[in-house]
Amino acid sequence: MAERGERAKNALIQLLLAANAVVMLYPLLVMLLSAFKSNGEIFANPFALPAAPNLDNLRHIWGETNFVGYLANSLMVTTASVGGIVVFATMAAYALARYPFRFSAAVFLFFLSGLMVPLKLAIIPLFIEFDVLHLVDTRLGLVLIYIAMGLPSAVFIMTGFLRTLPGELEESGRIEGASEARIMLSIMLPLARPAMIIAAIQNAVPIWNDFFFPLVFITSDARKTLPQGLTVFMGEYNTDWGVLFAGLTLSALPITLVYIALSRQFIAGMTQGAVK
Amino acid sequence: MSGAGGRARTSRLWLAFLLAPGLVVMTMFVVWPLLSAFRYAFYGFHGLVPAGFVGLANFRDVLFAAPFSAMTLRAFEHNLIVFAALMAGQNGLAYLIAFALLKTLPGHRLHQVIIFLPVVLSAVIVGFLWQLFLNPLFGLVNQALLLAGIQGPPWLGDSTTALGSLIFTNAWHWIGFPALIFLAGMQRISRETLEAARLDGANDRALLRRIIWPLVAPSTTIVVVLTFIGSFNWFELPYIMTGLNGDPGGATDVLGLYFYRTAFGGVSSGLQDFGHGSALAVLMFLFIASVSAIVLRVLRRREIEA
Amino acid sequence: MRSSRIGGMMLAAASLWGMASASARAGDITFWTWRQEDRAAFAELFADFTKANPDIHVKFEAFAPANYNTIVSAALAAGHGGDVLGVRAYGGLEQLATAGYLKPLDAKTVPELANLPAEALAAESVRADHRVYAVAFASQTLGLLINKDIFAKAGVTPPTDWAGFLAACAKLKAAGVIPIANGTATGWMDEVMAGIFTGPFLGNGFMQDVVAGRATFADPRYVAALGHLLELRPFMPPGYTGIDYPTAQQLFLSGRAAMFAGGSFEIANFRKQNPKLALDFIAPPAPKAGEPQYVSKFFDGGYAVNAKSAHGADALKLVRWMGTTAYADKFSSLLGNISPIKGVTISDPLLAKVAKLNEVSVPYVMAVYFRYETPTGSELLQNGLQRMMAGSETPAQLGAEVTAGIAKYYKPFQKK
Repeated sequence: MAERGERAKNALIQLLLAANAVVMLYPLLVMLLSAFKSNGEIFANPFALPAAPNLDNLRHIWGETNFVGYLANSLMVTTASVGGIVVFATMAAYALARYPFRFSAAVFLFFLSGLMVPLKLAIIPLFIEFDVLHLVDTRLGLVLIYIAMGLPSAVFIMTGFLRTLPGELEESGRIEGASEARIMLSIMLPLARPAMIIAAIQNAVPIWNDFFFPLVFITSDARKTLPQGLTVFMGEYNTDWGVLFAGLTLSALPITLVYIALSRQFIAGMTQGAVK
Repeated sequence: MSGAGGRARTSRLWLAFLLAPGLVVMTMFVVWPLLSAFRYAFYGFHGLVPAGFVGLANFRDVLFAAPFSAMTLRAFEHNLIVFAALMAGQNGLAYLIAFALLKTLPGHRLHQVIIFLPVVLSAVIVGFLWQLFLNPLFGLVNQALLLAGIQGPPWLGDSTTALGSLIFTNAWHWIGFPALIFLAGMQRISRETLEAARLDGANDRALLRRIIWPLVAPSTTIVVVLTFIGSFNWFELPYIMTGLNGDPGGATDVLGLYFYRTAFGGVSSGLQDFGHGSALAVLMFLFIASVSAIVLRVLRRREIEA
Repeated sequence: MRSSRIGGMMLAAASLWGMASASARAGDITFWTWRQEDRAAFAELFADFTKANPDIHVKFEAFAPANYNTIVSAALAAGHGGDVLGVRAYGGLEQLATAGYLKPLDAKTVPELANLPAEALAAESVRADHRVYAVAFASQTLGLLINKDIFAKAGVTPPTDWAGFLAACAKLKAAGVIPIANGTATGWMDEVMAGIFTGPFLGNGFMQDVVAGRATFADPRYVAALGHLLELRPFMPPGYTGIDYPTAQQLFLSGRAAMFAGGSFEIANFRKQNPKLALDFIAPPAPKAGEPQYVSKFFDGGYAVNAKSAHGADALKLVRWMGTTAYADKFSSLLGNISPIKGVTISDPLLAKVAKLNEVSVPYVMAVYFRYETPTGSELLQNGLQRMMAGSETPAQLGAEVTAGIAKYYKPFQKK
């Protein structure tokens, strides 16, 4: 009896989960399908499959907008920022985790103080500072902000991880006369790769998706990132829904593909960063 | 190696080398700007240049002087509504989904991947997508309702449904995040604890309320604090979907939009006002920081008691 | 020690990158605008300019209108930005000019200023010292764009007075079309629509009273004019509170709506999107038959020279050329905009008609007079109109609200 009741309940739960999956996926499916429809088709038959797959919209976005440029900028900015975060955070965390020094606790707290700071609220002074440093409308400016924003949590994760590594490895390296840099680079850091990957993914997604800082700082079309560029062609083609859906689809595509390939690492990276 | 002294010197240089880049970047782009924001709030501005100390005038204007005070209050109320609705709707549902996934029914891994998919998309993409879907005439939502014989409202244009539509979109975008944080918390509970409770005759409901809820307290803490900070920093979604003015008629105006408009100017006029903008930023910062600190303290205590 | 050196190096690197991105090839100047749809026309216009000035090439860069002001002030503050800038008239210009970002123009540097009428010069001047900072490029006229085919099919002639207008709307609606395409979801379009329909009710007398401080927006004349907007609600699209600007355009372009309350700046765009559309532009209805049908008029913006431009002389040459009739003729014919340059030939018959309508016009009041300080008259009015059209606020409340907001900085309103 109980067995059957349990099975019925599980079936119900399964059904609800399936319904939820439809709610999550269907909008994205419509976005994808509408990218292959003409404007008239979208208005007349919003739920139908495209009558004949029509590549005009995609060709339009790819050929007549600066989509490729936006994509390249997003790639550059995200790669440089994530690289900077991982390198700088690992360096600082290594010092904090492996060497006792006088202000160690204070330095650690200094990094942590940036943990939940909404940096958007400091946009006015940042703007004035960027003005003085000639960083307005540069990709480097974005990279520096993103590094600063990503450091606190990355330092936190890396310090926690590096502290767990056993001291014997280091000692044996010292006895063999290796320099501190050698010990760090060839003995300790290879062991820290999992933590570095978490720190990288945790930061890569919000940086790739960020809209606020480019909105304020980037003015030239040639330096815009993808989310910001998206607002450009959404404005330019605002009456042609086929092109709009094509633009949304192409913009969502890169990160979706990477996510599908690495979903386990993405989920671990983004949720663990929050839980720890 | 040239003795203990040389070793100490290298090590001090080595430490400085390791720490310097991080400290410099943090100081220049987080700490200094935040401290400056406090200073600027006490100044009048002429374009981008501070032009004279004005004391508390900026604060007085945004808090008590008409018409700014009414706008500040209205935006603040909307942020509160957003927070409450996301806690109850988005996070409540996420908790139940997490429990359903804990049962490891067939397909549970795939479901995790599916509900987390919107989380990795930009708010700009999600916002535009739902703006198109919620269009009163051509949008998917009202077209579907029409098939059922219902004339749907202009979701984003009606002041009674606009904020709710934004909250729904936000929940669709983010629900995978709290769900998987809760799930991770639940998976840390030992099998034995759950088995023992079941043997004692606890049904799912009792299990959820009496056993799991106290034990996922650390996950709850994180979800509450992140939802709070997220709600009071809300910007991208309303900016994309209902515009910088929080249309219609300010029904979706939130502090993030209001701050941006004050600082950098609205759509029809590009008049910048960094003094009042800084005052708003400082007030928001103090509010967010103090409430998160209190919430964190209260919830951490609860974790220990549990 | 070390940290400061690294910091210094980073700063140096940062500024180098920043500088590098700001410099460009000599003889190349950039032109910035918010009018993204003008790209093709300007390719042609700038080709003409380069023919006359073979060593100067102009690059066209356009930005989203909603962010344009922020972008320009950000860039100008940082010392870059286009060499020649499209700037909005009135308050938008004044803030940029008083911050010292724009080069002042006078009869010596730009003799072509003599080609512009006084009101066009005023729109591009700073109020305090009356110095001109830009060459106005277009006057915009707000009125009704109509689909002649739909009118003919429904047997309706374009109405000239308010009663006739409402009757025409009812007839169109009975024929199964949406009479007015406009919705209220996009704030600035609400202000446009309000300007169009209230203009004939207000007339120039009210405008002069407001400017002289004799009347406020709580004046019974203004409140009554707002009240007429409510009579239009049955003739707007279903769910009009959720219809945004692009959707309204879509309704009109696809022939589902008969009229679109908008600006002369739509003409070119509408023709491009639907060349088969039988488009006409008419003045809004007068209160009673025989009374003047005022259109609303304002200057859109002008062309200014970036004060920190590295190619100041070339930029000035371009702006001077933009003040000639040669430019104005081609600008008007390519873009379907009315250039304010004296002696411009407007070849397009519809546009010529709009230029003629301009002779009976009122200023587009918030843009012309109340966009200089915050909260601007425009933002107050736009927000309130959405509430009024949704029925949650009365015209009297809206008038009082706008007046109270403007009173914050406009002395004459404070006493009332």
